[in-house]
Amino acid sequence: MITADTARARFCRMAAMRAFDESCLAAMRRNIIHGELHLGFGQEAVGAGIAEALRSEDAVVSTHRNHYHGLAKGVDRRALLAEICEREAGLCRGRGGHMHPFDPQTNFSATGIVGASVPVALGYAYAFAARNHPAVAVGVTGDGGSHTGGFHEALVMAGAEKLPLVVLVENNSLAISVRFNDISPTKTIAERASAYAALGLHVDGTDVDAVADVFASGMQHAREGGGPVIIEATCHRFRGHFEGDPEAYRSKEERQHLKDNYDPIVRYKKRLIALGIAADEIDELQRQEKTTMNKLLLEVINLPMPEVSGAFNYRFVEETVS
Amino acid sequence: MNQQVRAPDRLAMPLPATIAEAIGLEMERDPEIFCLGEDIGRAGGVFGTTKGLQERFGKHRVIDTPITEMGFSGMAVGMAQAGMRPLVEIMFVDFIGVCLEQIYNAAAKIPYMSGGKQRMPLVIKTAGGCIGSAAQHSQCLWGLFAHLPGMKVVTPCSPHDHKGLMAAALRSDDPVIFIEHKALLLRKGRDFLHHPEVDDKAYTLPIGKAAVVRPGTDVTLATLSATVEYALAAANELAIEGISVQVIDLRSVVPLDSDTVAASAATTGRLLVVDEDYVSFGLSAELLLRVIDKLGFDGLSQAERLAVPDVPIPAALSLERAVVPGQQMIADKLRQMAKGS
Repeated sequence: MITADTARARFCRMAAMRAFDESCLAAMRRNIIHGELHLGFGQEAVGAGIAEALRSEDAVVSTHRNHYHGLAKGVDRRALLAEICEREAGLCRGRGGHMHPFDPQTNFSATGIVGASVPVALGYAYAFAARNHPAVAVGVTGDGGSHTGGFHEALVMAGAEKLPLVVLVENNSLAISVRFNDISPTKTIAERASAYAALGLHVDGTDVDAVADVFASGMQHAREGGGPVIIEATCHRFRGHFEGDPEAYRSKEERQHLKDNYDPIVRYKKRLIALGIAADEIDELQRQEKTTMNKLLLEVINLPMPEVSGAFNYRFVEETVS
Repeated sequence: MNQQVRAPDRLAMPLPATIAEAIGLEMERDPEIFCLGEDIGRAGGVFGTTKGLQERFGKHRVIDTPITEMGFSGMAVGMAQAGMRPLVEIMFVDFIGVCLEQIYNAAAKIPYMSGGKQRMPLVIKTAGGCIGSAAQHSQCLWGLFAHLPGMKVVTPCSPHDHKGLMAAALRSDDPVIFIEHKALLLRKGRDFLHHPEVDDKAYTLPIGKAAVVRPGTDVTLATLSATVEYALAAANELAIEGISVQVIDLRSVVPLDSDTVAASAATTGRLLVVDEDYVSFGLSAELLLRVIDKLGFDGLSQAERLAVPDVPIPAALSLERAVVPGQQMIADKLRQMAKGS
């Protein structure tokens, strides 16, 4: 049984993540963000659930839908939002944008190419093992990414060498429009672990406590030399694949049903109440997160865009201005 | 005790041994260099360019990978992000098709996408070029890598350049594609027409500097990789006929040293670019245009090119010779140019 303090912290983390993506959505609607934007509404329990077991020396390589993982890894919220808003003060000086945040300080990175995160995470895992460093590399992907060749190849190598790699699969059952059940040879992704001498774990990705427990045990397994782990967290994506996705592949009713029944934040409120936390306090905690993010967005919007004269900088070492 | 290390006989030394020597010297001075690829450890590489390295540095630094190019090229990106300096061997450059994703979308772009905060000290070493192996094992593809921004593309010819440029690639903090030529990998030092001599100790050469490998006054010929040797042989042939050809080894495609080529072409007035890569959208047109940009439309009396026409490399030797510029094709072209004004 978790304490009220732990529950409160997990709730705040989820609320902060949702508020972060709400700010991104607001910025998009004001034409501050252009290009594709992939939001994580509905997947907060996964993002918040992994935060506790991640250590600063661990590495996370994330996906196109990466905001929550970055926040969980400790990436500076302001720098991340400024990057998503394409500002010079952003994490990557406005060169990466929302799909390509890189933060060597926290060992966090991402890729916009589905499935390509897992081989990169393997590299971190190899480096940690070669240095006898008790750190774990986490490669995040989705159900779509779990079908790629890179996923398979990386797990073959990680399994053979017993590398400290945790592959976290956020299975929201939709690879844009293609349904997992229609294309997967197996009922779950976790059960594919045996092909790689890996540990396969499955968790309800809408339950932050369950994610925290299962992710912690998977991380411990990898950290103690047990080899790679596949953690499959089943969850639901409430919005389109990207902002502007017409979602012709599912009905409004289906989407509403998911929001009504599987919202990790709404579900967790009930648990907080059961732990004796007042409904008013819960609402106040959520309001505070929203207020913080609203302020931060206003601040970020007023930051300058990158100077045009710097468009060619940073390709090669000699072009890097420190 | 006066122990004497016997200097290697450079003329008898196969080019792959010189490359392995360069990698070994760098691995000695930098413990963060790790090699990974297919058959590079126990076998020492299919051409021998990593021979003896696994015995010296161990299995964890010279890694025999499974046939998982997408997996281990991405792994190298992660290793570089973790502070290592990986050297990846893609056995034949033709195989880049199965893992270009990690090379051009990750390795090449991450330094820029990160605003310079994430360096990518990664070398991709691979073998290209024609030795009669047909369409899937004969391509050069340096034009492909050069077209995609973010990679330095090194294409050495002489043993001296292979050693110095490999060391420079391994010391670079940028992603470097190092393309060897199979025909050169099958040679010994004595088979080379230029610079077979190699210093025993480690040294680097600057990436992005072309070299004039033969002086001449009538025609400037700019080329790279094995074609430098074919061009030198053709130039020797023409010298007997009284035609003086200046041969320039570009040594890298990115950066492309068009200054050196333009300076030479300004004196000869005739420029021939020879490229073993495909002709369209490639190095030959790019270099010609860059030189014309520098010298103006009136700066050259002739600007010509020879490159592989846009066909897959055929298996039959008769057909390969018809499409790949060799000594004879180059000599014929030079004669034709020398006749023109």
